[in-house]
Formats: sequence, structure tokens, C-alpha cells
Amino acid sequence: MNTKPKIAYQPRDSWLHQLHPLVKLSWLLGFSVSLFVISSPVWVLAVLLLAVVCFPLVGLSLRNDVRGMRFLTITGLVLFLVQILFNHTGSTVLRLPLGPANLFITDMGITYGIYIGGRFLALIFLSYLFVLTTEPSALAYSLMQVGLPYRYGFVFITALRLAPIFEVEANTVYQAQLTRGVQYDVRSPRKFVTLARQLILPLLVSALSKVDDLAVSMEGRCFGKYATRTYRRVPSYSRRDVLALLLFLVGVIAMVWFALLRLL
Amino acid sequence: MIRIRDLRFKFQGSNRHALRDISLDIDPGEFVVITGPSGCGKSTLALALGGYLFRQHAGEASGSVMVGGLDTREAEIFDVAEIVGVVQQNPEAQLCTLTVVDEVAFGLENRRFPRAMIEERSQWALEIVGALDLVDRPLATLSGGEKQKVAIAAIMAAKPQVLIFDEPTSNLDPTATGEIFRVIQRIREKAGITVIVIEHKLGYLAPFQPRVLTMDSGRIVHDRQQFTRRDARMSWSAPTPSIGLPSHNGCVARAENLTLSYGGVPVLDGISLDFHMGDFVAVMGNNGSGKTTLLRCLMGLLKPQDGRVEVLGQDTRRLPVSSLAQHVGFIFQNPDHQLFAETVWEEATFAPRNFGSLTKETENRVALLLERCGLQQYRDNHPYRLSYGEKRRLNLTSILSYQPRLILLDEILIGQDPDNAALIMDLLREQTQRGSTVVNVTHDPQTTRLYSDRVLFLDGGRVLVDAPTERAFTQLAHLGLEDYLPNGATGLQYQKT
Repeated sequence: MNTKPKIAYQPRDSWLHQLHPLVKLSWLLGFSVSLFVISSPVWVLAVLLLAVVCFPLVGLSLRNDVRGMRFLTITGLVLFLVQILFNHTGSTVLRLPLGPANLFITDMGITYGIYIGGRFLALIFLSYLFVLTTEPSALAYSLMQVGLPYRYGFVFITALRLAPIFEVEANTVYQAQLTRGVQYDVRSPRKFVTLARQLILPLLVSALSKVDDLAVSMEGRCFGKYATRTYRRVPSYSRRDVLALLLFLVGVIAMVWFALLRLL
Repeated sequence: MIRIRDLRFKFQGSNRHALRDISLDIDPGEFVVITGPSGCGKSTLALALGGYLFRQHAGEASGSVMVGGLDTREAEIFDVAEIVGVVQQNPEAQLCTLTVVDEVAFGLENRRFPRAMIEERSQWALEIVGALDLVDRPLATLSGGEKQKVAIAAIMAAKPQVLIFDEPTSNLDPTATGEIFRVIQRIREKAGITVIVIEHKLGYLAPFQPRVLTMDSGRIVHDRQQFTRRDARMSWSAPTPSIGLPSHNGCVARAENLTLSYGGVPVLDGISLDFHMGDFVAVMGNNGSGKTTLLRCLMGLLKPQDGRVEVLGQDTRRLPVSSLAQHVGFIFQNPDHQLFAETVWEEATFAPRNFGSLTKETENRVALLLERCGLQQYRDNHPYRLSYGEKRRLNLTSILSYQPRLILLDEILIGQDPDNAALIMDLLREQTQRGSTVVNVTHDPQTTRLYSDRVLFLDGGRVLVDAPTERAFTQLAHLGLEDYLPNGATGLQYQKT
């Protein structure tokens, strides 16, 4: 049974892979906030460009490693075009005669198109970069070691562990139904409800059975006995992590500074 | 070490006791095997010893269960866990982290052990199960047998005084099964703790000379201090089939140069095979050798990347599964994944109803099948209220209801006691007698010897052996695959032939 998730950590030797997960998380949050705090289409395009350029630099491929790349790009472009075509505020930069009506493209239409489409794509690509270069258990253990209650940390870890198994099981149930003559060309809401119930019930039963087994396994190893726990992993920050963290802090200060300047 | 007196337990909502009048003493360092038919209360007894039965399941309990001086009915689960460790059937469901090293350290971290002790104990536990080479691996990349070894190491790291294995090999192939039993042997030798194994495959346990407890209907019906030859034979001593071998003719399914890979890794590598009318074929091989993938290709659920698969003369690439399904029945590994209806009767007639072929004759056939499978009394019950063995028989009934010409089975005998296994195999043998073809993925050489007339052995996506059953076992013996020989047989027995 192949239980490897489709969006998963891709081990490589790049500088981004080697950064401490919390430093990377800080950068992700920092860039994400900046996309909304810094009201500049140039900044949005710069972050988007940076995210796209990072992929080959860290040994990843946008085409192969980003699931649904085509769908995401098209969605980003549609969001951009909707603003261009229907946002007529601001001054006109282009007028195209189209039969009886004219098509106006305004500077604000372009700006908002970049804001919405660009922010969407930049956030998605940055998040992908983070997920593909960060070992999930390293992230969870790092968060627990800086104060996240360990019960929440293990909710995350067990979810990561079980999600691909449930994905495989959902596919098996679907295939089992096909082999018993279930037709999936749904035409009535009633039939849809029946099909959904027939798909969900076996998965639910299987999930509950796994939860029982997991409870025996975790309680049998004293999970929850104490309010805190110790860790085998040693939290370590390299010189590169410290430098990246300093850069992050400088970026945050600069962002706040520019935001205040705009307010002034 | 263990002292049970007059233990009775009835699950809430059930009208019969799962455990009745159990009284038992087990000494420190003793090796005990608990066996008996499916649903006889073996796993419930294991849960009682670990204290989980009284914490996680509502029901009525009486009597006492003392383990290492603690009453598991009253004590905190964490206190009992310091004495008793339980290794369960399914390795997938008992691992809760993402890497081997984190999994083994998990229990030690929860006990707030210092880092140096965590390292030392993890190393010791991995060494005792022979899994030191796995230490840096992500769990998702391990085989079933490797996962079970890690699950055992994770329990052993806490150095329990009692270790309970609840059918630890039911999901494993014979090679991995043999390895897990060798691990159990190593634990006995090196740790000297009390070991309790719940198991149907008694033949593997003969070298340990264990004390054998046999359960039935919630009671201990036999307690033998010595392991006998009869015990070894019991594991799969299904009765010899009463129906003769069918004649073979007519090709039902054919694979030509069948090639398929997942993520660039070849799973089936240029396989060419024919399946004929009336064939009863056993497909064997290690986990990951391509057995399930072959079945899915024959069902049309997977399409070949190279080569072709024909079923009843039709290329599966050009045929939707819904069309093939009327002539091909498929039973998947987990019975819970293939129960869709509200009652046993509706489940048994689910497929013919979908195919629009539910006639009076079909209903009569289904009623007869339910009767033979001992399910007629549950006709109006929800399928999920059945026991594991009953669910498996219902899966089979729902396939046989429409008499498919090709029957594909993915490890249908997992978790079945010998009587249930014999019933299932007899029903299938009858189908081959009527002209259906059975392709049965199995890890059980004993039933293969009794029922199958041909063995396919896959290795790394290729056919290693394809021969009539006895000749196939001889070839497997020559290849050194003794774990795949029938129970009690040695390689020598086949190498002489």
C-alpha cells in the first residue's frame, strides 16, 4: 500500500531545506503579512517572483512538485483579469474599441488585479515552498519545544500520519463500490445522499477502529500521563539560522517603519 | 505475575458475555499462547490484562484481574502500562509519529526520561527486535513487517514485565511472519519477560514449547502446559475438500506483458499469464510483490501502462469497471471497506440489485448462502454489528449472489479460524466446480495445498513460480522459500520429491 501523501516534504540538500523549521515559519508569516501590509503592486510582484525563483534554486520544480499547478496559475490569472476588465476606477490607461462598447483598462484595475491575483499566487507558492522543504515532524517537535502544548502537537503529527492512510482507504471504498455495480453518474439529490452515505460510513467505521487502536497504543505508552514531556530531539540553531532570523527581524522593523511612514 | 479470578465481561448492548468465568495464573517468564475461533474472546482478554477493556469499553464486569500486583479493573491505565505492553494486529494503526526513531522514543519521552536514557533505551529496543538499520527511516517507507518490528520496539523500550501480542502477524506475509516470530524468540531469550501471544498460526510457535490456552465462547476450554504435535497441526488443519477438482478449459482472463509502475517504481514487470475456466489459483509472494496490483488489473481498476489485460475476451482498457463487474467479483482485504447497505440481507443482494438482476432465483440463492454461512439469523441486523469472521462471510455471500465467472480475492483468510477458513474455501471450490475461476491472493500455504490446483509466486513484480500446487511447493523449497511451504513441512520434504 502506497501511503505517501501527494503534497509532502521533498528531501534535498538545499540551504532552504537546512534552515530551522521555526525560522522558515517566521519567514513565511513575515512575507504573508507583508503582502497585505505593504500596499505596493511592485512588492507583491517582487515576492511572487522571489517565490517562483526559489523553486529551482532549492532543487524543486514548479511543474512536478506543485500539485494542481495549472489550476492555480489559471485561477491567479482569472482573478487578475476580472479586476482588469471590471474595475474601472482610476485613470484610463488603455481604451479598446469592441463593437458598440469600449473596453477601458484603468490603472486601479491593473493595481487591484496584481494585488488579488498576485497575492493569491504568492501565498500559494510560498506555502508550497515551506511544506516541500520542511520535515513536518521537525516542525511539530520544534513548536512543542517552544511552548505549544504537546497534545496539540501530536494532533498535528497523528493527522499527518493518518491522512494518507485515509486517502488510500477512501480510494479502496470507492473501488469496492464500483466492483459491486455502484454507478456514480448522480442525477438526483436523493441518490447523491445515498452514495455519500455509502462512501462515508465505511470510512467512518474504519477511522473509529483506528482511533481505538491508536488510543491503546498511545495510552499504553503513557501519553498524557504528565502535563509536560521530555524530547529526544535537541533544538539546534546554526549560524545560518541566526543570520536568517536577524534578516527577518530587520525586515519586520523595515515593514513597520514604512507602514508608519505611510500613515504619517 | 498474572492472577485472574472469575472474570466475566459483557459489552454494553450485547446479550452474551464476551468473557465467562476466566480463572488463570501465569508465572513470571512464562510463555503462553492463547488460541481459539474468531470472536471467542482472545483479544478481549488481552484488553482486560492491559486494563483497556475497563476504561475504553462500556460493559458489565465482575471478578478480578491482577497483573504484577495491580488490579487492572481499578488501577490507572498508565500504572498498568508500566507493567504490561500490548502489540496489536495492525501495525499501521498503532504507530503515531512519522519516523522510526521518534516512534521508539515516544513512550520514553511521555515518561519524562532524560535524553541520554531515551537514546540508550531506544538503541536497546531496536537492537532486540533487529531493527537498528531502520533507525533513520520515515515510517511511511517501511514494509508491514518492518512496521510491526518498530511497534514491538516502541513497547519494549519501556521494559515491560509482560508483553502481549494480539495476532501480530495477521497482516504479514510468511517471510515477515517468520521474522516476527524470531523477534519474539529473541525477546524471550534476552529480556526474560512473560510473553503472551494470541495466534492462529500455531505451527510457527512449536519451537518455543509454550503453554497453550484454548478459548471458545468466552471461556478457557483447554489449558495445556505442553505444546503438542496436534497443536501445531491445528493452525490450519482445515478439512480436506469434499468436492473433486474441476476440468479446465476456456481462457477467462489473460495478461500479456503486463507492466505497471507507481511513481517510477515497477510493481508489475512484464507479466504474461492465462487463467482458465475452473482454475483455483493461489497467488503468493512477499508484501509489495505485486499480488494486489495484479488483481486490480484483472478487475480493470488499474489499466496497464504497457502490455494488455483481457477478461472474457475484452481488453480492460476499453471496458468500464461497471461492465466488467457483472462478471467479475472482487473481495478486498478489509471487510469494513465493502459493507454499504443497512441490513445483512440488503448487503447480500446489493450487487445484483445494482446490476438489475435481482430475481426470485437470486433471492433463493442468497438465502441459501446466508444459511450456510450462519448469517440467516442476522438477516435484518446492520452488517457492522457482525463479528470479523461473519463480515468476511457476508463479503463472500454478496459476491457469490450474482455468480461471477471470475472471482478475485485479496487475502480473504486473514483473521479467520480454521473452521471459517474451511467454509469459505469450500464455497469457493463449489464455484470452480460450476465453472467459475478463483484467483486467491493468500499467505497461507496450508489452505493453498488443500484447495488450489495452481500456485503463482510473484517476486518484485515478476512471476517466479507458476506451476501445479505440489510442483510449485517443490520449486519454492528449491528456491529456499521455506516460509511459504505448508505448515509443519520442511524444505527437505519437498526437496526430496
